[in-house]
Amino acid sequence: MNTPILSIKNAVKRYGTVNALDGVNLDVAEGEFLTLLGPSGSGKTTLLSAIAGFIGLDEGTLALRSNDITGKPPEHRDFGMVFQGYALFPTMTVRENVGFPLKIRKRPAAEIKKRVDEALEMVQMGAFADRMPSQLSGGQQQRIALARAMSFDPQILLLDEPLSALDKKLRADLQWELKDLHQKLGVTFIYVTHDQDEALSMSDRIIILKDGAIQQEGGPNTLYDRPRNRFVADFLGKSNFIEATVTGGSGPTFHCESQGTPFDLITDEPCEQGQAISLALRPERLRLGLPGAELVPATVKQVSYLGERCQVLVVREGGEEFLVSRPTWKTDITPTPGLQVSIGWDADAPVVLAPS
Amino acid sequence: MQVSAFRIFFQTGAWLVIAFLVLPILVVLPISFTDTSYIGLPKEGLSLQHYANYFSDPDWLGATWTSVWVGLVVATCASALGTAFAIGCWFLSDRAAMVARWVLITPILVPPVVQSLGFYRFWVKLGLIDTHVGVILAHTLLALPYVSISVFAALTNLDRNLPRAARSLGASVMQTVWAVVVPAARPGIATGFIFAFIVSFDEIVGVLFITVRNVQTLPKMIWEGIQDNIDPTIAAVATLLIALTLLATAIGVLRRS
Repeated sequence: MNTPILSIKNAVKRYGTVNALDGVNLDVAEGEFLTLLGPSGSGKTTLLSAIAGFIGLDEGTLALRSNDITGKPPEHRDFGMVFQGYALFPTMTVRENVGFPLKIRKRPAAEIKKRVDEALEMVQMGAFADRMPSQLSGGQQQRIALARAMSFDPQILLLDEPLSALDKKLRADLQWELKDLHQKLGVTFIYVTHDQDEALSMSDRIIILKDGAIQQEGGPNTLYDRPRNRFVADFLGKSNFIEATVTGGSGPTFHCESQGTPFDLITDEPCEQGQAISLALRPERLRLGLPGAELVPATVKQVSYLGERCQVLVVREGGEEFLVSRPTWKTDITPTPGLQVSIGWDADAPVVLAPS
Repeated sequence: MQVSAFRIFFQTGAWLVIAFLVLPILVVLPISFTDTSYIGLPKEGLSLQHYANYFSDPDWLGATWTSVWVGLVVATCASALGTAFAIGCWFLSDRAAMVARWVLITPILVPPVVQSLGFYRFWVKLGLIDTHVGVILAHTLLALPYVSISVFAALTNLDRNLPRAARSLGASVMQTVWAVVVPAARPGIATGFIFAFIVSFDEIVGVLFITVRNVQTLPKMIWEGIQDNIDPTIAAVATLLIALTLLATAIGVLRRS
């Protein structure tokens, strides 16, 4: 990896007895689309605020291209920022809003005009330059906020849940636009969200935070396919969890047993005979079959139709519930509550989780 | 159309309240046109002599001018201080802002006489008795809460991320305040300015306590006019003030619609 554009070392922020940030280490690569993902209270917004310079760290350092910026005020950091509530200046027109960072930097009027026009064109809002923010819809306002945060060529663009206040359809459109913009401009994006779909669809890399600490980081498919612990497996997408015991075998194929049902497991993780392991199993990796066709007999409890997919909640004997996600076009079985079925999975489908 | 008893009841009530508020004020109108030389209703005909007297008497005009310029200085000082205070509180936490707000409105809660006594004792020590500076200081203190309350109101719904946005875009704290917060507070500042002017223009108790001969304001002149000689010029002045207020209100209403 080349010199990271932003390097965070051992960031700690305390609020009373709570550690909002609990020793975060993070390097951000130049041009990367990085997402900080976590539930509320996970420290993702605190981390972003610390990067922006709105809050100081109790411990640790921040460096921009190897230059220490830990104590630098936000106005000297040169990071653009987009907020959930747009934060457009209500007394300024769209043009004045977008030109604000250039005016503060005392650029000549002609240059300001040119760059504002370019920035507005970039977000397809050229026709709205003379409106007031209050005359625009939420999606339009957020586009203006984006243009404003980009108009001065910031080092990094920080985005704090920029799409959360918008409706679902608009959110999806803007996700594509943001990704497009990121590719076109090549600027480093640091994106905060609690929405896992947003994180999965846009990011180059995702940092999953919980209680102020990084749980796991990696590309969207790495995190989805190989969650390291139960929190990640549960937070990013849905997972079924199986507690099992290793009964034999040697890597990569092991024999396991869970509640009297033996099954094979293919994994790179080192396992020992007699070891208790936790497994995560994605709903779409579970197969639904007629009674006896698959490994574990079960009963359908609830069916939820989602359009292209159908989610089936089944209960195995003993009360353990499994969520199965199957394409709607599969018509070999029509799951209805009370139906006797069986469920099974491929030996390489379960992921071994780190003990928590 | 059927008019319900309910509607009649409340309409009558509303008109009664308006009459209660307005009629005592309107009494000065006929008195100001009286042809007598004492306060009373016109006897044989209407006369403009008391208006003529007001506009030709240097004492009346001088007092009016003093009230106007003192009021403008007070409004300016109170607006500057009150706005700075409200914006400062807004930047702090909501809780601090709330506590500070309560502290600042105490001048409204304390009875004017008590407050004026305080001014008197204190101004004697400072040598400010019977000076314009003394009056301006006292009035600024009294007007401050009105400005800060109206600026607080203007800032209530302002997005707290605005200063953060401005600073991330490169503005220092002072630039942020000037370019972002003050413009948003402007309607509140304007309202506060008008209130502050009225508070000062109207103030009598404090002025009676802290001035003697040197400083003569319009309310004090009216007050003394009633005590010494029962001059209908007072009614003429009062009528002019009412007319001026109505005019200002009308302009305000027309500009808004």
